[in-house]
Amino acid sequence: MDAAACGALRPVNSRAKSRFADVDAVARYFGLTALTISAIGPLVLLVLWSASGEWFFPALMPQRWSPDGWGWLFQSGDRVAVAVRNSVLLGIADGFIGCAIAFPIGRAISRLTGWRRYMAAAAVFSPVAAPPIALGIGIQYFLLRIGVGGTAVGVLLAHLVPTVGYLSLYFLSVFVVFDSKIEDEARTLGATSRQVLFYVTLPMMRRQVTEAVAIGFLISWAQYALTLTVGGGTVHTLPLEVFSYMRAGSGNFAASAALVMIVPPILALAAARYAAGRTVVSPV
Amino acid sequence: MRHDGTSETVPGRPTALRLRDVSADFGDEAGLRDVSFDVANAERFVIVGPSGAGKTTLLRAIAGLIPVTRGTVEIAGHDRTHLVPERRDAVYLHQTPLLFPHLDVFENVAFPLRVRGVAAAEIRSRVASVLDSVQLGAFATRPPHALSGGQRHRVALARAIVARPAVLLLDEPLSSLDPSLRVDVREVILGAAREYRLALVIVTHDLDDAALMGDRIGVLLEGRLKQVATPATLFAHPASLSIARLLAIPNEVRGVIEGERAFSSPLNEMPLISNSQNGSAIMVFRPDAVQIMPESADTAQCTGEIVEIRHRPQQTTVRVRVATRLGTIMIEAAIDAMSVPAIGTIVGLSIDARRVSVFADS
Repeated sequence: MDAAACGALRPVNSRAKSRFADVDAVARYFGLTALTISAIGPLVLLVLWSASGEWFFPALMPQRWSPDGWGWLFQSGDRVAVAVRNSVLLGIADGFIGCAIAFPIGRAISRLTGWRRYMAAAAVFSPVAAPPIALGIGIQYFLLRIGVGGTAVGVLLAHLVPTVGYLSLYFLSVFVVFDSKIEDEARTLGATSRQVLFYVTLPMMRRQVTEAVAIGFLISWAQYALTLTVGGGTVHTLPLEVFSYMRAGSGNFAASAALVMIVPPILALAAARYAAGRTVVSPV
Repeated sequence: MRHDGTSETVPGRPTALRLRDVSADFGDEAGLRDVSFDVANAERFVIVGPSGAGKTTLLRAIAGLIPVTRGTVEIAGHDRTHLVPERRDAVYLHQTPLLFPHLDVFENVAFPLRVRGVAAAEIRSRVASVLDSVQLGAFATRPPHALSGGQRHRVALARAIVARPAVLLLDEPLSSLDPSLRVDVREVILGAAREYRLALVIVTHDLDDAALMGDRIGVLLEGRLKQVATPATLFAHPASLSIARLLAIPNEVRGVIEGERAFSSPLNEMPLISNSQNGSAIMVFRPDAVQIMPESADTAQCTGEIVEIRHRPQQTTVRVRVATRLGTIMIEAAIDAMSVPAIGTIVGLSIDARRVSVFADS
């Protein structure tokens, strides 16, 4: 092939590449736009709804604006405050306790090989796979028998079931790539297994552990069916309040409560990221 | 097992490590079988063997990281066979330096002292001293990820030294390094071993490293310790054909042991005393046991044609095709790298009978 022919081919290839690049860029922008709309769109709707006094179909925007939707924050008094406090305390307890239980489970499963690992992973995940109502009824039966049905402790134990399932799989994925040889070396350097856990393993996994606590918090924070079934209406949490507003037809109240529900999870994830700093799973 | 009189530790020196009939499993497979040897204080004992021979299993068994199914492990005169790793007084270093990523260099090295509850002032002085000895005094506040590969090895070594173990177990310590760093890290290890009078057990598959680092070398084949000898003895007189092959000794000549247990081979008359029974046998010798000379020399045992020249960093050899009454044999001989004969040259060969080993051909 002579130089002229090469020169003649080059622009064609460039054009073809450029066309693909254009298509790729359009697809990327389209995808990002769709993602942004799907993430922010519902939030915008909630904000509008919570600030509306009157909004009927087919109006694009509320016909009347009103701060009443946020009035519950100040008018409901103890009821909402108790719900927020319960949700936060249950979330924190669920995050830490779930993490403490799931950490060794995930580690133990990671040390299994072949079909044993798959079976163990399926076993810990099975409560999560069950429908929440069915799970709730089963758990409630058990909790009633041990005398904690309808109590905050009972709700916490119920929340721990899906949390431990999710977090065990989370820690399984962490420990599969964790190089445990560094723990062996630490043992021969004179550290007991307890010292290895607190001075080597946990510091190396600071980020993963804080993220797991945040995930546990979020799982508890969003629970409705389990809280309602096991709590029997006596343990008030924010999701229960949101649904009660929706059932009562108070759309603007439900929207503002839903917006309030979004804040703690965002704070929890941000705090987890901030607290984690720079950590690595593998030794240097 | 043939020990060549070197299985015992140096006379007068206390024993740092004593293994007696140690067996250990590796997964579902048999790992080690009846391994016994001693290592004296300040002695460097190297284990060589092919992949899968059980070298790492041996070190992990000594360190207590895998259970010993039979036998005893004595460290510093005490039976530690069933103790947990932290109470064995044996530090195990992996082939890649495993530094704690959340601690800086100083805290990495201080780790063994902190977990033992040593006073802060003593920690400062001991860590500073050890860091200076591995030339890392100026790097104390660096995080591990800011160090080069060689510096990480030094930190890992310093961390092991500061623990003052009775025995230091090094698993392929140079295998992950490029050639220039190998020399550097090897000298640091040897320097530290001399300075702190460390008893070392080093596992390697590199024969150069084994010869340079070991006072004695143990050969591990299929989980069994087949020979323990000084480097000079091992390379000159391997105890079996399989060991000779592991040592990459290139010259093997088949022959027959007959009569007075003398070995006769196709290389003309070459009687060699052998310990083997009469019958087929194989003569093994290294290239430096062969002397090249003019084909007309009186001392030439046979003649042949140079067919290939092999240059290596440490040695240059030629391959010589020797025609015998029973066929053609290839002999590899060491030569001076500065006066290499041309390919096709006919030369005479003389083999030093003292540096030849003969084994039954089974």
